[in-house]
Amino acid sequence: MTKLFVLALAAVSSASCAQMPATNSMPDGSRDMYVGLGAASKPRYEGGSERDTVALPVLQVQWSNGVFVSGMRAGMHWSQSPQLEFGPLLELQPRRDVDGQGESVGGIEEARFSLVALPLAAPDGNRLAGMPAIHSRLQGGGFLNYYLTPDWRLTSSLLYGAGNARNGAKLELGVQRLAIELGAHHRLALDAGLTLGNRRYNSAFFGVGETDSVNSGHPMFEAGGGLKDLHLGARWNWAWSPSWMLTSGVQATRLLGSARMSPLVERPNNLTVSTAIAYRF
Amino acid sequence: MPSVRHPTTCCTLALIALSACAPVRAGDWISYRDAYRAMVVFEKYGGQKNFLQSQLQVAPLERGASLDGVQLILAGKTNQVNLPLDPLGRTAFPLLKGAYDENVALMLSRKIGGFSLRPRVSVALQADGVYEDGELRAACEQALGFARYGDGSLRTRQCAGVRFVFAKRAPEIGVRVHRADGSDASLAVSASPPFAGDADDGFPTVLYRFTGSEKVQLVTAYPPLAIVPVFE
Repeated sequence: MTKLFVLALAAVSSASCAQMPATNSMPDGSRDMYVGLGAASKPRYEGGSERDTVALPVLQVQWSNGVFVSGMRAGMHWSQSPQLEFGPLLELQPRRDVDGQGESVGGIEEARFSLVALPLAAPDGNRLAGMPAIHSRLQGGGFLNYYLTPDWRLTSSLLYGAGNARNGAKLELGVQRLAIELGAHHRLALDAGLTLGNRRYNSAFFGVGETDSVNSGHPMFEAGGGLKDLHLGARWNWAWSPSWMLTSGVQATRLLGSARMSPLVERPNNLTVSTAIAYRF
Repeated sequence: MPSVRHPTTCCTLALIALSACAPVRAGDWISYRDAYRAMVVFEKYGGQKNFLQSQLQVAPLERGASLDGVQLILAGKTNQVNLPLDPLGRTAFPLLKGAYDENVALMLSRKIGGFSLRPRVSVALQADGVYEDGELRAACEQALGFARYGDGSLRTRQCAGVRFVFAKRAPEIGVRVHRADGSDASLAVSASPPFAGDADDGFPTVLYRFTGSEKVQLVTAYPPLAIVPVFE
């Protein structure tokens, strides 16, 4: 089954980043927008061993007032300093059900793209069979990034509101190397980071309750809070003209802590690969 | 005279302008938007900058590449501008909302091989060729302030002097130090890159280091192409 996602563009210009685009200086009343379409190959859900190839829309917009949309995330840059970025952040947590996880959005700029959409699975051996669906949730929080140099950035974001009970929180910490030149019109951005979840967040996505255990056949499992994953990512942008570009990315994620021990996890190491053609408006 | 080419002793300022932006390398075209983002940082900088000027540099990657007669051509629907490059590959960059919104390309008037685009900040030139030591120090401090604004890792750097960069074919190359007692002394000329990271290291340059508190004037017989702050 093919599902559509909205993806976050990464690293189009010189600055690339993960969860949110870097501050974009522009004339008052202007914007910088990327729209595109491509494909992604990814696990059906976090920890799933089966892969899916899906169509991948690309969307990233920044306005001169600091507001941005990058894939499934939206926020606003409040800082006026080129060395510091902070502001409010929203993220749509995609639904996960027996078929997997779906509907996530990516962006072109920055390296920690969020092509995370998890699909509908459900063949034999599907470990999500019998587990309740986790509904889409809008999470709210903020981000704080600091530039060690113009090319190196420390990133962080805190979001709350995931899970059916809307009480899951996750903290993402990372470091990014922005826009390495690979010849004319080629840019590479790298990132590494980790994700921590509170107990409710990890329980929502990796725990198995009593009823769930009866329905799914999995043993009961209580996921604790703490480290959820480590991830490494790279994004390569190839600009064909000021308007057209090819953006490609890869992200490797390793589940850790209690998330890794969950009976829902078939393999702790996941790889997501994507490529898309984008137009810059 | 200490070499200003040593990486630990010299840091020209040019570099910093792009907050989160690395230099943009291009082939025959450059995204105006990306160049705009690089150049607007200086425009928006709120610190002292009255002794400074900011320009966009097209820096060839090959040492012998000639920039004679090369222009950047901005050909949009609302803006048609030719930007001639100086011998260092620099030009004043127009910040045009119309060109930004159109997302136009900046085209080179002819091929020059590979090159990088960099925002460059230097000391504004005086028409009479006379520079007060105090003004050069102030200019260097302004440049360092701007560099730190974009790059926090430069906090430990200090202003060490300025480097006068002359054209290779300038009729007269040199800088005289004129003291209050009427004595004059010429500073040594050497060949080096105009800005940090430039491939062409054959430009005649004169390094003036800030030493002591004596009030002197620096006199150039022929206008330099650029006066580049030096950080250590």
